[in-house]
Amino acid sequence: MANEKEHGSGSVEPGDTSKRVGAEVIRERGVDPEELREKLIDAIGAEFTTYYYYTNLRMHLAGEEDYKEITEDARLEDRAHFELVVPRVYELEGSLPNDIRDFADRASCPDAEVPTPMDDSGGFDTEDLAVEDILEVLLEAERCAIRTWSEICDMTRGADPRTYDMAQRILNEEMDHEAWFIELLSKERDDEINPAGHFARGEPGDAPYTKNNPFNDSA
Amino acid sequence: MTQSSDDTWTVTIVVPEESSLDEAGETHEFAVSENETILAAARSAGVWLTADCQQGWCITCAARLVDGDVVHPNARRYDTEDREAGYVLICTAKPRADSTLVVEQYDEFLEFRAANNKPPGNSKLSD
Ligand code: FES
Ligand SMILES: [Fe+2]
Ligand SMILES: [Fe+2]
Repeated sequence: MANEKEHGSGSVEPGDTSKRVGAEVIRERGVDPEELREKLIDAIGAEFTTYYYYTNLRMHLAGEEDYKEITEDARLEDRAHFELVVPRVYELEGSLPNDIRDFADRASCPDAEVPTPMDDSGGFDTEDLAVEDILEVLLEAERCAIRTWSEICDMTRGADPRTYDMAQRILNEEMDHEAWFIELLSKERDDEINPAGHFARGEPGDAPYTKNNPFNDSA
Repeated sequence: MTQSSDDTWTVTIVVPEESSLDEAGETHEFAVSENETILAAARSAGVWLTADCQQGWCITCAARLVDGDVVHPNARRYDTEDREAGYVLICTAKPRADSTLVVEQYDEFLEFRAANNKPPGNSKLSD
């Protein structure tokens, strides 16, 4: 009985190493692997810039050790998200931009800058810097990540299970992160109890969903 | 269609023929309140327009304003040059008049940003 889908990959000749069946099977299912991988580069650009910006945000949560720890978990997990998807970009015959400025410019989420102007000596003017403002930047960064990985889930559902698996793992953690910052911001800004329902990770940046395929133990 | 008491405007969305959306070639009209984004209103009306960050940054949701007026109170990367060129980021755009927009203008807006040396412009087009 004939299948609706051709599970062969007829466009690739036996022994041809100039093409990847791993990419052609996605194309056969209606997703353009080049378009997908460019979107992945934008998405991990955002993971990478967020990893950078959270370093700054977390250290400006001075004296709020519990907030710092949670932010550190979110920060390290963004690095894990970057690491998880980098190999997929190369599998789909893409590459990381040579210039980190290009990588940051194309990031699909905004720069999560410390929400304060610079002072005259070029440092942060921290006089009016409020903890709740930092928490709001963190929350909105997580929300952007949720939207991006949801888009990638939509794009790959039923066509590219490998990328879909990565995206849905990342999405799981981004939803954790949003819940954390909703809890913290609600308490800090509105004195409202709005439980995330979870606790800090066992180890900093545990990444329970996305460290399934590390480059090596450092990642 | 004029402004009603709760400041709701009629927004008309033109989906280009060449778009990959199911709605390609169609025109849709719906009510959008002054506090609602055009993207959110379109999606609630059943038209799934393309978007990503929903923070006025990535330009995935770019559109062109043909008629009317919108504001972008929460957009993270949108400037007067963009506005003067008629581009709109519907994820953050809220109407201030009955408006007509041609949606799914990402490629065009990306070219515009690149021509003006602004991100994500050349970072996406250089190779
Ligand atoms: S969806 Fe990113 S700018 Fe509108
Ligand atoms: Fe992330
Ligand atoms: Fe996150």
